[in-house]
Order: sequence, then C-alpha cells, then structure tokens
Amino acid sequence: MEVAERVLQWVTDAGATGDLMVAEGSSLSLKARDGELEEHKVSSSQVFGIRVIKDDKAGVAYSEAADTAALRLMVDHALTNASYARTDANEQIPDTEITLATDDALLAPSDNVTVEEKIDAVLRLERELAARDKVKNVPYNGVSDVTAAQRIYSTAGLNAVSRVRACFSQAAALVEEGDKSVMEGWGQGARRFDELDIDNIVEMAHANCLALLYGEAIPSGHYDVIFDAQCQPTMFSTFSMMFSGKAAKDGINPMRDKVGETIGDPRLDLFDSPLMDEGFGYALFDDEGSPTGRTALISGGNLETFIHNSATAAHFGVQTTGNGARSPRSTLEVQLHQLEIGPGDADDDAITAGEYLELTDLTGTHSGANAVAGDFSFGASGFLCRDGERIQPVRNITVAGNFYEMLNKIDLIGKTRRWDMNRHAFMPPIRFSDVAISG
Amino acid sequence: MLDTPIAHSVIDHSLSLGADFVELFIERNQINSISTLSSEVQAVQSGIDFGIGVRIVYGTKVLYGYTNRTENDELCRIVTELSAKDLRDPETSSASFDFSVPHDIHRAERTLTKGSEVESKVEFLLKADRTARASSNMISQTRGSCLQREQSVEIFTSEGLHASDIRNYIRASLSAIASNGSEQATGGFNDGGLTGWEIQEAIDAEKTGSEAARQALVNLSAKACPSGRMPVVIGPGFGGVIFHEACGHLLETTSVAKKASVFHDKMGELIANPVVNAVDDGTMAKEWGSINIDDEGMPTQRTQLIKDGELTSFLADRIGAEQTGYGRTGSGRRQSYKFAPASRMRNTFIESGEAELDDMIASIDRGIYASHMGGGSVQPGTGEFNFAVTEGYYVEKGKVQYPVKAATLISTGPAVLKEISMVGRDFALACGMCGSVSGAVPTTVGQPSLKVDDILVGGNA
Repeated sequence: MEVAERVLQWVTDAGATGDLMVAEGSSLSLKARDGELEEHKVSSSQVFGIRVIKDDKAGVAYSEAADTAALRLMVDHALTNASYARTDANEQIPDTEITLATDDALLAPSDNVTVEEKIDAVLRLERELAARDKVKNVPYNGVSDVTAAQRIYSTAGLNAVSRVRACFSQAAALVEEGDKSVMEGWGQGARRFDELDIDNIVEMAHANCLALLYGEAIPSGHYDVIFDAQCQPTMFSTFSMMFSGKAAKDGINPMRDKVGETIGDPRLDLFDSPLMDEGFGYALFDDEGSPTGRTALISGGNLETFIHNSATAAHFGVQTTGNGARSPRSTLEVQLHQLEIGPGDADDDAITAGEYLELTDLTGTHSGANAVAGDFSFGASGFLCRDGERIQPVRNITVAGNFYEMLNKIDLIGKTRRWDMNRHAFMPPIRFSDVAISG
Repeated sequence: MLDTPIAHSVIDHSLSLGADFVELFIERNQINSISTLSSEVQAVQSGIDFGIGVRIVYGTKVLYGYTNRTENDELCRIVTELSAKDLRDPETSSASFDFSVPHDIHRAERTLTKGSEVESKVEFLLKADRTARASSNMISQTRGSCLQREQSVEIFTSEGLHASDIRNYIRASLSAIASNGSEQATGGFNDGGLTGWEIQEAIDAEKTGSEAARQALVNLSAKACPSGRMPVVIGPGFGGVIFHEACGHLLETTSVAKKASVFHDKMGELIANPVVNAVDDGTMAKEWGSINIDDEGMPTQRTQLIKDGELTSFLADRIGAEQTGYGRTGSGRRQSYKFAPASRMRNTFIESGEAELDDMIASIDRGIYASHMGGGSVQPGTGEFNFAVTEGYYVEKGKVQYPVKAATLISTGPAVLKEISMVGRDFALACGMCGSVSGAVPTTVGQPSLKVDDILVGGNA
C-alpha cells in the first residue's frame, strides 16, 4: 500500500519506529416499525492510526482524513505525543518481517442475499413477532451486515491483513396482559446473512417474554445459582481484568501477585482459545502480528498466566501470548479472543438436582461491578427451578457477591458445553453455591 | 467544512428522487487525551475525526448513510444508493440556505485549536496524584485522565437551514485504589464542562486527589450491604442518575413514539410525588450537557419535564415530534456523524426542595444513605432500572452506622417517582456519558439529596 509506505517513511525519517493501522468498514442496518421499514442505514468508513516509538517512548495519533497533509499531521502529533510519554524500553515494534492474511472464505464469506431480501427479513421479523399472543409491539428490532477490514504495516516489515464479516438479527417485544408487562428479546449472529434464522429469533423472543411475564421477586436469601449460556460469559468477561497482563503491569490487577497460586475450584480449567473457528473471536494472529494459540489461564484452579502483548511479556520476562490489541485510536493493550472452560463431570441431571435459581438476564453489569475488588451487584431475572424444571419465573431481584470468591464456591461443572449468542465463549454450565439474592 | 454549492447539489439530487426531507451533518472532531499512572505520564493521544452524515426522510422512513469524503459525486452516490427502493416523483423543492451562527453561550478560551497545553494538564494530574498518595499510605495506585475535545458541526437541510457551531469539551478525573494487603477498593472524582482548559481554575487538583483517595479509603473499610426493600436517601449531584434512568429516558420521544415508554400516554397526569419538579436544560452556561444548537440545528432550550409531580413535556427531536405530535425541544443529539439524531437528554435534574439532609437520615429506622451513585440502565418498555451505589452507608435508628459495598438499587420509574417523599436544598450537578440509540453523548445529571421511601437494595450481607 503506497500510503502506508509513505507514512512509515516519515516515521523512519524522524528516527523512530512505528506501525500503521488502517481500518476500513462498510455496513448495512435495517429496522422496522409497524410493518414498515423505519431505518435504512449504510456506511463506509476509513481511519488511519499510527503508533511511533522514539527514545523508548510511545505515542499514538489517528486521522479519518486520508490526504497527505492530514496523514503528515498525524505522524507529527504522534511524535509529539511520544515526547511526553514515560520511558518504557519494553514497548517496541516487534521485529516481525512477515506477510499475513486471514481466510476470507472462512471469516468474510459472501452470499447472494440481496438488500431487498434483507429488508424482507427485518419486516418479517417485526411482523411475525408482533402477531404473537399478548405482544403489544416490537420496539427494538433489526438486522445488520457488517464487513470490517484491518491492515497493519510496521517499519520492521509486518504486512498483516484481516477481514471479517458479521451479520446480526435481534428483536425485543413488549408483552402485556392486565397490569403485567415484560420486554424480552433474542438475537443471533452469523458470518453469512443466509445463516440467520428469523423464525427461531421470533420463537425465542416470544417464549422469553411469556416465560417471564408473571415473574415476581423471591424472598431474599442465599441460593444455588446457574447462570445461563449468555449470563455466565457475561460474568467472566466483566471480571476479565483478572487475566490482563497490562492491568498487572499497571498495578491494578488484583491477581497480579497470584500467578502459580490457587485462585479457584480445582475442577476449573479456563482457556483463551482463539483457534476455535466456530467462534467470532477466532484469530490466527493478534494486532502486533504475533501468532495466537490456546492459552491455559486457569488449570485445576491455579492461575497459570496472564494474557500478554509483546510489551507486557517483556515486562514480566515471558513470551507474548498473542493477545496484543490495538485499534487505530488506541495505545497497545491486551484482550481475550474467546473464553473456553473445560468440561466438568456433572451430567445434566446432577447439575440441575434439587432447588436452584437459573438466571437468564443480568442488568447493570457495566456499572454494578468493581473488577479491582471483585464485588458486584446486578439486577437479575430468571427462574426458580427444581430438578431441572422451571417452577416460578423470577423478576425484580438482585444478585450480589464477590466474583473472585465465587470461583471457590463452585458446586458442579457440567459436561456439556455451549456457545453463547455472540459466539465469544464456549462453556459448560457451572452451579455456584451460596449466592446472595435480594428480592 | 462543506462547500455550500456541494450541499445544494446533494440536497437537490435527493429531492429529485422524491425525498420529503434531506439533511447533511458535517463534523470535525479533534481530541487530545492524557493519562497518568504510577505518578507519571502513561500516554498522550490525539486524533481527528471527520465525516458527513446524510439523512433522507420519505414519510416516516429514515434513510441514513455516512462517509469520510466530501466530493459531490460520493455524497450523491450515497443518496442514490439509499433512495433506490423509494424513488418517486419530486414532491418538494429545496429552499435557499439561511446561514446562522448561534449565540455562543458557552464561549471557551483555552481551546485545542489554540494549543493542547499538555504540560499544564500533566501538572494538574500529577498534583492530584500526589495529593491522593499523601492522604494515606494505603493508597496503592492512581490513574488520572484529562480529555479535551473540540467538535465543529455544520448542518444543511432541504428546508433552508444552514447552521454551524463549535463545542469545546473538557473533563479531568482521578481514580485511586486503596489496599490493606488483603483487600482492595476504589474511589474516584471527576469534573468537566462545555468549556476549555480554563476549567482548571474552577476544579481543584488537590480536591480531585483528596476526594478520590477519601472514597477509596471509605470503601476499603466498607462491610457487606444489607439487602431487601428499605428507605434510601440518595445524595446530591450524580445521585441524579436515578431520575436520568428512571424517568428521563422514558420521556424521550425515541421511546414515547414507539409506545415503548410507560409514560407515553401520561401527559398532564400526576406521575410523581408532588414534591418532584424536574427539568432538562441545554442552556446552562458551560455545563457538560449543554449545547447552543442541537444536532438538527435547533437552538437549545430549558424544558420543564415535571411540575409538582405532573408530566408537562417530553423531549422531542424532529422525527419524534412528527411521530408524537408534541413540539420539538431542541433535543436532537448524536454521538457523531455516524449516527442519525434522536431525542436525548442534556442537563437533566430534579430541582431543589425544602428538606434538610439530616432530617431525611433521621427519619430512617433501617435503610441506606447512598451518598455517591455510579451508572445504571433502564428498560424503557417496563421502566425497570438498576443503578450502582459507589459510596453508601447503612443507617439505623436515624444514625449513619458504617459504610457498605456492592450495593445496587433497582425499581421501576413509575414506582420510584412516587416514592420520593423528601427533596433537599443541597442541589448539585455532575457530568457523565449517556448511551442510547444515537450513541454516547455528554449529559449532566443533578439533584439535591432526596429520600425514596421504599426501594429494593441488592446487597451481599
């Protein structure tokens, strides 16, 4: 790419090293209302982001303008920004002279679905859900089709291109009967639009609404809890800072001194597994061009390692785990690709024996959690269950506790693993004991 | 930022394809961000966003597209692509542009255009860091941030509107971690406004540092919070998030028009305790949630939402006004050119009352004093909301007993508004970011201390 060569030459001329990230995207999103198309949105965008390292100081800057003057200014700003940064010899542009590219057939497959057919899909989604029993309306619905490409070039010779496609459809219905009302929904993600199952989304959204319509709070107390396939990954990702090498380096990861120590139940095995290609977090290389791999984070309850980029790995004297993350607008960070929990030994009958609370919705996870302390308190809904049967819908309760302590309050781990709706986590159900519920 | 002849050409092209209304939103957004960690500069970041959003309306249908390019051909291509399914004979002709620059009620002096002033901001953040660390040897880490942003917008419409504005945002914060060896807790303090770096004369680095440290130390000593239904006194300032979440979102025509708000048919009715008066005001000088014009080019205004407990107004953008029949309130806002505008809050608050904080606490037999609140969320259709307590105390027999941690308040909008029984005099505002259908926009929340007689507290005791 000629522009990239020119930008990196400016970096080199300034006596610095650097990498340039170019992100491009195009998208279509559609929403329906009362049988008509309410919103039709298309976009195309491009952003350049440069990271420079000079005198062991890193600086970043970005620009959405692609003209020469704007890109030159971007490089100048990055060099100026670097001059203010702290000295960190661990952050360097990796010496990676390689050309990498993702497989479009796998990650960005094409299909023959026309825009008209996508419009038909969202209209049908809204119409069929609105026609279901007790549904007042379907205020939130939509389909989207997004393709994003990311190119990374470095002064060391890295040339990495990745392209992904993601199609989504979701709907939430407002269901009313008498003085009772509930709004619940369902959604699905796929890499091809023709893999979206509109009928299933209608069915699941409606079923979720009806199941919770007559939900009531239950008495406050401590219950055995099973988070469903969506909520359990939410719990782990909310506290994912515990695996961050960057947070450990920055002194804010509460597990920073616990590598090699037991932090959870001895039956708990947890991995970052970027090579499972069924997941949306599938990745062969990270944002530094480093190869990825399956990383055991917790084995037998022991904290094995943090996730690392090249800078945090150098800080701790270990190898990068291929979890370097950067966007054109950000500094170098780390991020999980997709979480995997190893299968346990409990079959379905065992894990659902007796009385327990199945939580199917958590609210306030962005505000009610403190990842430094591990404390959390979320709004919740779900079902009081006995021997695998839902015996009472439950709403207007809170679930609270300390997540890091909960890792030692695991009663059972199931044998059967499932992907979450967004396909970023592959886990068996876990039954936690003695969880505080307020109702 | 966009040549007027090109704007004319694109709008004329869209109208020739039968559109009822066309709008071009041009945005240039310059940012500078400084972060500190471990008593030194961690990173300085900067960037420029630029793009054009094209909104086309056919009846009730909204078509939206955006691009980073300014050429006539590219903009007309987007119009043609968006309108492909709705082509019809022209029904409207464009009007001549009537250019207007709004009166700037939030004039900034030390703007990014004049300089990013990195040294001065670093000095502020490191002074806050030193103050926090000096307050206790249990303060183990601090993280500081100063974000300055200069957003220039220009709007053209087929109705002849041509308006432009420049918005200068600044926000500084410090978070602190307190540790006793076995446990950790966090605290924080931030302030900001629609102004330039001259805000440093109003926000004190030492106060920023000492307040962050004080809250972290309080939380380090906190016990598990009792749970169940009980009275709660919610402190001033960011405590206003309760109204923002419980009521404000339900008064936006975005949810009213869809009948996804429990208040959609309650205009003129008593929806709150008569002690409650609530306002959404975009005109407050240099406040974080203020604007001169909204993102549809309409001058902002002060909107009385609730008067003596009675619902008096919704927040309406252009489309929302058409869909509901209620008048526009200058509330059409969006995060950037990548979003179509929607009705959004600005500075939203419950007005001062007559009660004293001490009297509210004295009236509680068993409950919580939530002196500082965190964020939350609401489900518009049912009004069910949650929000987190970041600093709270258990109250028994009218006296504050001990700090509590990990508490969340949940209820519904209609229920909690009627449970507010006492409204205090200690009014304050606090800034935050609000996320909704048109992205994240700066909003201010506010209130005096107030007492909610009955609400569910989620705790771990």
